Parts: sequence; structure tokens; C-alpha cells
Amino acid sequence: MRPLHEYLRPAYAQPLRVAGSVLVLVGTLMPWATFVLNDGPYPGKATLQFFDLPFAVTGFRLHLMVLGLAALIVSFVPIPGRNRVLRGLGWGALLVSAVNLLFITYRGGGLGAVTATDMPAFGGLVALVGAALLIAGAVAGGLEEPVHLPTRINRFVAWAVLLVAYVALLFLVAWTLTAGGQGGVANPYAGAQFLSFLGYAGGLLAALQGAGVLPWIARLSEEHRPFSIAVLVGCALALPFTSAGTDYWMTVAANIGIYAATAIGLNVVVGLAGLLDIGYVAFLGIGAFVAANLSGAAAAKLDITLPFVVAAVIAAVVAGTFGAIVGSPTLRVRGDYLAIVTLAFGEIFVRSAQNNIGGMTGGPNAIPGVPPVTLFGTGFNEPVTIGGSRLPSGALYYFLIVLLVALVMAMFANLKHSRIGRAWIAIREDEDVAKAMGISTGRIKILAFMVGATTAGLSGAVFAHKLGTVSYESFKFLESVTLISAVILGGMGSIPGAVLGASLLFVLPEKLREFSEYRLLLFGLALVLIMRFRPQGLVPDRHRRAELAGEDIEGRKLEETVTEQAHLPTGAATLTREAGT
Amino acid sequence: MTAPVLEARNVTMAFGGLVALSDVSLELSEGQIVGLIGPNGAGKTTFFNCLTGLYTPSKGQVLLRGKRLPGDPARVTAAGVARTFQNIRLFPSMTALENVLVGRHVRMRQGPLSSLFHGPAFRRGEAAARERAQALLDFVGLGKVGDVLARNLPYGDQRRLEIARALATDPKVLLLDEPTAGMNPQETDATRHLIFAIRDTGIAVVVIEHDTKFIFTLCDDVSVLVQGELLVRGTPDEVRADPRVIEAYLGKPPDEVEAEVHRGETR
Repeated sequence: MRPLHEYLRPAYAQPLRVAGSVLVLVGTLMPWATFVLNDGPYPGKATLQFFDLPFAVTGFRLHLMVLGLAALIVSFVPIPGRNRVLRGLGWGALLVSAVNLLFITYRGGGLGAVTATDMPAFGGLVALVGAALLIAGAVAGGLEEPVHLPTRINRFVAWAVLLVAYVALLFLVAWTLTAGGQGGVANPYAGAQFLSFLGYAGGLLAALQGAGVLPWIARLSEEHRPFSIAVLVGCALALPFTSAGTDYWMTVAANIGIYAATAIGLNVVVGLAGLLDIGYVAFLGIGAFVAANLSGAAAAKLDITLPFVVAAVIAAVVAGTFGAIVGSPTLRVRGDYLAIVTLAFGEIFVRSAQNNIGGMTGGPNAIPGVPPVTLFGTGFNEPVTIGGSRLPSGALYYFLIVLLVALVMAMFANLKHSRIGRAWIAIREDEDVAKAMGISTGRIKILAFMVGATTAGLSGAVFAHKLGTVSYESFKFLESVTLISAVILGGMGSIPGAVLGASLLFVLPEKLREFSEYRLLLFGLALVLIMRFRPQGLVPDRHRRAELAGEDIEGRKLEETVTEQAHLPTGAATLTREAGT
Repeated sequence: MTAPVLEARNVTMAFGGLVALSDVSLELSEGQIVGLIGPNGAGKTTFFNCLTGLYTPSKGQVLLRGKRLPGDPARVTAAGVARTFQNIRLFPSMTALENVLVGRHVRMRQGPLSSLFHGPAFRRGEAAARERAQALLDFVGLGKVGDVLARNLPYGDQRRLEIARALATDPKVLLLDEPTAGMNPQETDATRHLIFAIRDTGIAVVVIEHDTKFIFTLCDDVSVLVQGELLVRGTPDEVRADPRVIEAYLGKPPDEVEAEVHRGETR
């Protein structure tokens, strides 16, 4: 059988692309459902407006409309990377229509959504077919080489571009967080709305990627690093002032931040040094329990009141010490065997905590009553007013955690671009040769474990104070697995990757509550798909990209680079002769 | 004659009952190029592994400037013995420059704290290391490809990069394991000139090679290993003329070879 894309001749491209875009638009404007949803009609229950307002363009229909219009325009305007852009838009439209169609059909009890009698509602199907045609048209047109936009532009233009990009990112984050609302009883359609929004955002991002805009922004921010970092931190601190500025979303964002910082620590061990640690969450636990004991009832009994910073530093040091202890078998044990050692350590920790061995963990009763962090008499769990706008109660913790993540990121970046970081990567690539190059591999590996554990310990201290209660249940094996998945999903050795991975893995469960019985199943499926189609991770580190995607630093495919350099050996040989004489 | 830089005294290496090397000695002075040839399985690479601390010899010792070398590859490299590998072993997804910088590791002093904070001293050290690495890349003729990933380099360049990485450790002795394997005549010629250039900087070089023509035009002194024993040692002319060497390379009538194999097994 011939591969499918061979049937798509270039001559079909334009008709397919135009027909696809038009069908998406037509489908958007048609009614999608003709029955009352199980839970009652809009606006009482449903917020998806497909019954009472069949022609209203809001919500997912607005998204489809944007995607369809963009595709129609791009079909007639020859921009660089056009087919890649169209393919991205097509996938976005496909996901949005598929999610909503499936949801309507499922909620409506079978295919009622499309076969109801009084008014035909083929909107979903039409949009779905349109999106598929659009993708087919883009593929038939032949995908172009990745677009390479120039980065040598005026500094102020570059700054303006970066500013716009990061502000857009801030709003994307805020919208993604709040898409579909809190879910649960208040809005049973939250999960579907959220997934539909992800499809929309993913489609737009894929289109920008196809036009070469995202790689361009990445290179620009690399070239204007200090400016980018300042703007990024500023944007992160501005999140409470957007639509995500409620108690609930601040708590979610703060939780994500804690796990992101922990994942970056794990990234040192797994991503840089290549040591698989599958009991890593134990260090988060050690940090949390140490901080809980130092700040909570145990310390109060001894009449000690430690400031948060001191408790956090002690927690980090204790966790780091345990990191060195757990890391010491790496001198003798490699690869899979090391993974088993770390797994065993994680289990030892969580079982001891569960049974309250040493009386430090409260066992099944947990350690309650860890006081919140306070600064100038203001508890971090209280709402505050800054410059006239009232910030929700989680906002101060959110700020603290943004600083924590920024600190951990800076630490990671500095270590990675140093003698130590290079030694870690060398060990990951070929441990024997690293040793032959004079690297004391044992010490350097233990150092990786220590750095990772210290980071987790610090995050644990914040975790304990923020939550107020520390229980062994937060540090079970599944948490370690989720953290490793976050690192691999985002891209090993990559900082934005670890943050993105942690965000996805800790937002998705929050968002997909209504699918709770399928949640882990979907999770697993998503991981399998990502590992199959993007083994280098979502935001790969350039080393990893080279290793797993067969691309070089600039993102070009390998074969091209090699032929490009085919002329070099002769030149190099001449140089050598000069050196020899 | 100056005192030897590297001296192997009666090195014997046995893996269980199998004696891979027996009683092999070698001396090497500053600025000397010594060749090590022999048929497959003669123990050449095993000998290198004994010199670099990867194996601890069962008997005998290895001395660098009269001091006994430690039995740990990292510390041997720190003491001043660097090597390349028979099958190229670069760090494939690091750039050429980063590969050389890893070689620089052992001569840099930045610890974890200084790496964490990137203070002025760190920056000075890092800049110096990069400058040195770039100079070494220029030296081996890879000055323009510092940003290319090692795995993307053509084969001959990868061999040269391995040499640059070894040179980055500031060695007194450089051990090259088949540096021209798989190269065309032009590349082999370039490698010869490169090794002469390295020798001229005062580094002593030991070369393992199958290509006898290459060895005889390169080395001041050649040792022939056969079945773990030092068969002949002398100048290229002496070695080339020695009937035992011709026999080891061109072979003997089949029955004699068989007899030898049996002797080897019973030993």
C-alpha cells in the first residue's frame, strides 16, 4: 500500500485548502446540537452555547472562526512556510471540533447530536471534515523547509517583539489556567472547554511555529538574555493582575511553581548527569518535614521560633545531605541498577514517614499547623492590596514561588554552563571517556544528586509553609513518576521544558476532574504519543534535540549540515600542514 | 640521553588464566614518537589501558617522570597522560568546542560554588579555558567548526577532535590508538604532520597503528608486540628488516601457525 500522502498531488493543494477553510467557517456558523443536554439547557447548566444560541459566535465557535478565517486568508497569501502554517491551523480546528463534537455526542446520549429531528445540526461534522481537508491540502502542497527569520535586527525592535511575545505568553497562561473555569459541580463542561481551548492555542502556536516565528523569538530571547529574563519575571509577577487573579488560580499556580522548581532540580540529576532517580520526591518530603518541624508545633514546644528563611535553608541542607547519601551508590551502581536503588530509597522514606519512624512525620495524622510565612507582620496567606488593586489570598505565596523558580532557574543555567555542568553532560554521554578525560566521575555524580536534593528540599520548605499541613501522602511513588514524566515531557536538560512539563502534568489533573476515571489512562496515552512523535520533549535542550531528533543546533536536519561541511576537511588539512611546519 | 618521561617496567596483564601482556617494557623521552605495532589481538590496546590506569597491571609498574602512576584513569590524566580511542569516543551531542572544554576540566579549578555564582574569577577562568580550547581547535585544523556538534563532523575531523580534546588536558605523554584508521592517504598525511607538530611542542607520543608504512615514516622508535610479548624493538629501519617481524606480519606455513596457536592456549 502506498503511503497516504502520495495520493495528495500538489494540484489538489489549493482547492483542498480553500474548501477546508470554508467548510470550517460554515461548520462554525451551523448549529451543533438540537437537544437539551442531560444537565439542563443553557444558561442554567451548560456554558457551551449550542442550543439556545445556535448562531452566537463565542467560546469554541469564536476559536474555530479565528482558525478558519486565518486559514482562508493564508490560503491566498503566499507567506513563507505557508503549508506548515495551514497544517498547524488545520490540526487546531480538527482538535477543537473533535473535542466538542465528541462531548456533545457523549453527553447527548449517542449520536443524537447530529440526527435530531426538528433541526439538522451538522455543524460539528462539517467543521471536522473541513479541518481534515485543510490538513490534507497543506500536506498536498508540500511542507516547506523550516523558515529561518533573521535575528540581526535593531535592538529596540527586538525588545518590542520580545515584550509583545512575553505579554502574549502571560495572557496565554492566564487563559489556559482559567479556560473552562474551576470545573466540578459548578461547571460540568469545564474539562471539554479546557481541552477545546488547548486545541485552539495549540493550533495557533503550531501555525506560528510553521511561520518560523516561535524559533525566531527563542533565538531573539537568547541574544537579548538579560532583557528577556527581566521581562519574563515581570510577566510572571503580573499574573495575579489578570483574569487568573483569584484565590483558586493563585493556589493552582503556586502549586505548579513548587513542582516546577522541584522538576528543575530533578533535571540536574536526570537531564544533565543522566542518572535516573525514581525516588526523587523523597527529597521534597524531607525538606517539607524538616521545615514543618522547625516552624511548627515541635519547635514551639522547645520555645524556638525560626524565621522562614532559616528553616528553609536548614531543610535544603538536610535534604542535600540525604542526596549525597543516596547518591553514593552511584560510585558502584550504574543505569537500571541505580534506578532501583533510588526507587528503594523513595519507598524507605515514604514507609518510614507513614509509620512515623523517628516521630518526625506524624504518620497518618500528618503534621498540622505549620504557620504561614510572614513578612512585616503580613501572613502570606492573607489577601493584600497593592496600588489600589486587591490581590487574592494566594498571591503573596505566588510571588514567593515565582522568586523560588527564578532562583532555581538561574542556578540551573549557571551550573549547566560551567565546568561542573560540562562534566555532568560528559558523564551522561560516555562515563568511561569522561573519566579518561580526568573527571572524578564519582564526586561529580554525587554532586549532581546533592544539587538536585537541595533544590527539592528548598521547594519542600515552601510547600510545607504554604500548605500548612505535611503528610506522607504527598510523597508517594506516583509523585516521583509524575516529576520524571514532567522532565521528559518538557525536554531533558531544558529549563523551560521542565517548567512546561510540570505545568501540564499538574494542571491537567486539576482540569480533567470530570474525566477522573479516565484521567490516568489519558495521561498515559498522551505520554506514549509524545514519546513516539517528539522524543526530544516539548521544548528540547539543544543537546537532546541533536541526539533524539537528528537535528543540529539551528534546528536543521542533520544530513544538510553534513553536506554543507563536506568541503571542510581539505581546508582543515591545509591548516594542519601549516601548524606542522 | 635524558631521563625517560614515561617508563613501563615489565608490565604483565593477566585476565584470569589468559595472559594478554607478558613482561612488556617501554621507555619514552620528551619529544620522542614511539610506535607500537603488531597483529590483531597482540595486546596493544591492553597495554594502553595499563598505561592509562584503566587496568592495573598484574605485575610490573608504570612510571611518569620516575613517579608511579595511580591506578585511576582520572588521576592518570591529571598527572599528564592523555589518550584517544581506537573506535572514536567523542561526546557526540556536545559541540566540538565543548568537547575540548571537557578535556580542559582537569586543568580548571572552578568548584561548585564558583560555578553556581559565576563571579569574576569564574569568568576569567572560563574565558581562558575557551581561548585555549579554540587555540587547540585551530591547532588541529578545526578552528571553524567549534560550534558544530561532534556527531555531525566528518570522520577525519572526529579523529582530529579527539586529539584536540586529549591535548586540552596538557599532557606530557599522548597515547594515540590507531589515529589514522579509516582515513584516506591525504588525511593520513595530514595526521602525520599533526603528530610531528605535537612532538615539536615537547609532548612525547606513543602511536598504535596497523599501517606499518605510516609508523615507519613517523616514529623514532618502534616496538613490535606479538601475542602479548615484546618481539622486537628498534629504529624503523631495524624493525623493518627483522625477519621475525616479517614472519609475524606475513605469516608462516599453516602447520607452524597452528602449532603456535596451541602453544598460546596451553600457556
